[in-house]
Amino acid sequence: MGTFKLDGKPIPFEPGDTVIKAAWRQGIEIPHYCWHPGLSAPANCRMCLVEIAPKPGQRPVVLDILELDASTGEYKPVQKPKLQPACYTPASEGLEIISDNSPHVRKARHDVQEFLLLNHPVDCPICDQSGECKLQDYWLEHGRYQKRMRDEPVHKPKGVVFGKTIVYDGERCVMCTRCVRFMAEVAKDPVLDMRERGNLNEIFVAPGRELDGHYTFMTEHVCPVGALTTQDFRFKARVWFLRTTPTVCQGCATGCNAHLDYDPRYNRAYRYRPRDNEKVNQFWMCDEGMLTYKEAHDGRALEAKVGGAVVSTAKALDAVKAMFAGVGPDAIAVVLSAQHSLEDNWALHELGTALVGAKSVYASGKPEGYQDAILIHRDKNPNTKGVAELAPGAKPVQALLDDVAAGRITHVLVVGSAATVDVEALRASKVVTIAAHDGPFAAVASVFLPATAWAEHSGTYVNARGMRQVGEAALQPQGDARPAWRQIADIATVLGYEAPWKKIRQVRAQLLGSAPIESTPSPSVSAPAE
Amino acid sequence: MEPLDIDLDEGELELPADPMHLNMGPSHPAMHGTVRIVLELSGETIVKADVQVGYLHRGFEKMCERGTWAQVFPYVDRLNYVSPMLNNVGYALAVEKLCGIAVPERCQWYRMALGELARISDHLTCNGAMAMELGAFTPFLWFVKAREMVWDILEEETGARLTHSFGRIGGMANPPTADFKAMCGMAVGKILGLVEEGEKMLLKNRIFIDRLQNVGPISGAEAVSLGWTGPCLRSTGIAYDIRKAHPYLKYDEVDFDVPVGTRGDTLDRFLCRLGEIRQSKRIIEQCIERMPDEGPINSDDPRVVLPGKTDVYTTIEGTIQHFKLIMEGAKVPAGEVYSYTEGGNGELGYYLVSDGSGTPYRVRIRPPCFQITGGLHRLIEGRMLADIVPTFGALNMIGGECDH
Repeated sequence: MGTFKLDGKPIPFEPGDTVIKAAWRQGIEIPHYCWHPGLSAPANCRMCLVEIAPKPGQRPVVLDILELDASTGEYKPVQKPKLQPACYTPASEGLEIISDNSPHVRKARHDVQEFLLLNHPVDCPICDQSGECKLQDYWLEHGRYQKRMRDEPVHKPKGVVFGKTIVYDGERCVMCTRCVRFMAEVAKDPVLDMRERGNLNEIFVAPGRELDGHYTFMTEHVCPVGALTTQDFRFKARVWFLRTTPTVCQGCATGCNAHLDYDPRYNRAYRYRPRDNEKVNQFWMCDEGMLTYKEAHDGRALEAKVGGAVVSTAKALDAVKAMFAGVGPDAIAVVLSAQHSLEDNWALHELGTALVGAKSVYASGKPEGYQDAILIHRDKNPNTKGVAELAPGAKPVQALLDDVAAGRITHVLVVGSAATVDVEALRASKVVTIAAHDGPFAAVASVFLPATAWAEHSGTYVNARGMRQVGEAALQPQGDARPAWRQIADIATVLGYEAPWKKIRQVRAQLLGSAPIESTPSPSVSAPAE
Repeated sequence: MEPLDIDLDEGELELPADPMHLNMGPSHPAMHGTVRIVLELSGETIVKADVQVGYLHRGFEKMCERGTWAQVFPYVDRLNYVSPMLNNVGYALAVEKLCGIAVPERCQWYRMALGELARISDHLTCNGAMAMELGAFTPFLWFVKAREMVWDILEEETGARLTHSFGRIGGMANPPTADFKAMCGMAVGKILGLVEEGEKMLLKNRIFIDRLQNVGPISGAEAVSLGWTGPCLRSTGIAYDIRKAHPYLKYDEVDFDVPVGTRGDTLDRFLCRLGEIRQSKRIIEQCIERMPDEGPINSDDPRVVLPGKTDVYTTIEGTIQHFKLIMEGAKVPAGEVYSYTEGGNGELGYYLVSDGSGTPYRVRIRPPCFQITGGLHRLIEGRMLADIVPTFGALNMIGGECDH
């Protein structure tokens, strides 16, 4: 590993790095549109041009140009250094790059910015990218000029439907080709390309195809401007009203790191954005995962129920107390859920095995589904590994059905409502379900207690590769929902036990023993949100 | 019934000699509704005075720190609310110092003229109100009539009589109106006429003089040690005026004198303010003479100045500039600055810290009358209860800026 200098500051680099990538690793941004750390570099936006100082004893590479002398109105011949794109310049030992300190670089950025905005429509007020747009940011940082061209700008197709998920606006496009490269390089489906030249340049979908597959949202995500928008987020919210929280996608066992964007005024989630994590999802998420933010609101069970009738949480806890009176521990079973966090599962496991003394532990989850070689995992539960780690001997739900049918189990404590098999037969027993969403286990529950979903509490999830990841709370709990581990603590109390956990910190302290938390998004482990 | 004093001897018949405790304010008309003085009285003589401020505390510094840099202007309007323009200009100068921006010459003259109008309004209010609190109601009406003329001009220029919110980072909200110079030229003469009339009534009045002269004197050294600035400091004979000592805008290019007192008593403070009204008139006359009629009023720095509306609606560059400034706020370079101007009461200082974002990280305001009010107890201890009214009145304590 060597170092080179950027504006006099030493920058370490790894073999194969370009100047822009090595700087990016150090948190220094060289302005760019087309470069993306997860994609190849086409060097076509010219925003990252930098000056390379000549090596000692070498002649500088200069260009002869004509410059207008404002005082005389005459052009005079001058020389300027030949600038190089930082995204295409390999980092090498002793290289000296002049970026922000070079007047030529600053002028180049200014001019590139003016060029890119030459035909740009006045769309900020109706553009979804507004507020997180590179064109806006760089105009203020590097442009700061007023329009000189007073001609009618070139018009291009607007609102072109690329597929079920993506809409394209040719006028906003800066032709960085990030979407084209993403589809070719990451999604391995080169369905997008460019056509025409010059100011008629536009992105199009291969004839006879539409932009589909499992990674279309990422074309919008990589778009540095508002050219690509998703049908899902289009015109739904203004980004400056949104707040963001680091979380973990619940769509499958990959456990992609994500930002959950929500509006605190309405306590509503609006979208996911991938959160860079080289160990898990690099920079990407799949379409199915990107849409799972909706489960913060859709299909939620937000009220306590006894026998299907809505009651207060206190009444439901009374019903649990009456139901479990005089029941021996051998007749009680606990069902853990790969859909819920490690904390929730630990609390139920602790209640069932340590306090009640039950020996029958089962594990549930969602059925398996589509998988691919990129990100999507066959297992559609975010915490299968976590449950297996917590209760290695947990039996499948089918075994529970058999035990209930045989009369060995009469009372069941369940966290999570998803199941892979039909659980209607459980109606023969008394079922207490604590879950965030409606589902089979919620339907058969004698007593149902609403739990917060992942978006409403801080929770730990173990992905398919055994990495513990923490997702933070974004929303306020909806309805009567409370964290499942807290509902379970209350159940313990009505059953006559003293639950040894009152705060998430105490639950976490029990969990931390076994494995270190990897890719923790924030210092939540030491200071959990209460 | 037996007489109450049947068993008392002569000595016990004296009046009780324990000091009396009296709360003066905050709900007292002469305390401006915002100050409480806990007095320890021996008869009518003040043995000890405990001046307690904070009844108008609104946390304005913290309020300033939650919006964008430009959204601070309405808050600073409400500091010294009898001269909001001086607060506006002071804050604008502070942010401009942090950004390294200079405003065009026309704007500097305009800011000076408006600021001096505000100073006249400030001094008229203070002197008129103090006279009224001593029972002289007619001069108060004349001073307020003169103040109305100032406010008419300010209303014409800014659209608001009191809380103008007219300052902008890098300029002013609007250029001067076409009538500005004519209005100023006409008004300042009339204002001075009214001031002279009121002055005649007061300064030939034995009672008025007796209630001010040698009441609440303070030495120059003591005033400096208390951190006093402005007319209250100058009444002691120390000619410290920021406009002269550390000129800003175009104050080094205009002729004006710094009126000073000799004894530092309440009468001197009253006279200093009257003198400053005359000097402000001189400054305004020079400003309107030298202010160009044409030319930009705002700096052309796109980091802080809003683009023209035509550009916003028709060009993407204008839209972006507008969007960035309104939604995210002007990005003031990271750093800290202390900028100070001569406010109505003295040194009005803004200590600003920027973390480089669109929102101020810290807005610390040094209101001149905070230090001045801190010296009030020294002026009134040992005096009669009735002396509080003129003494406090001449300090011109403004709760809006003092309580922070």
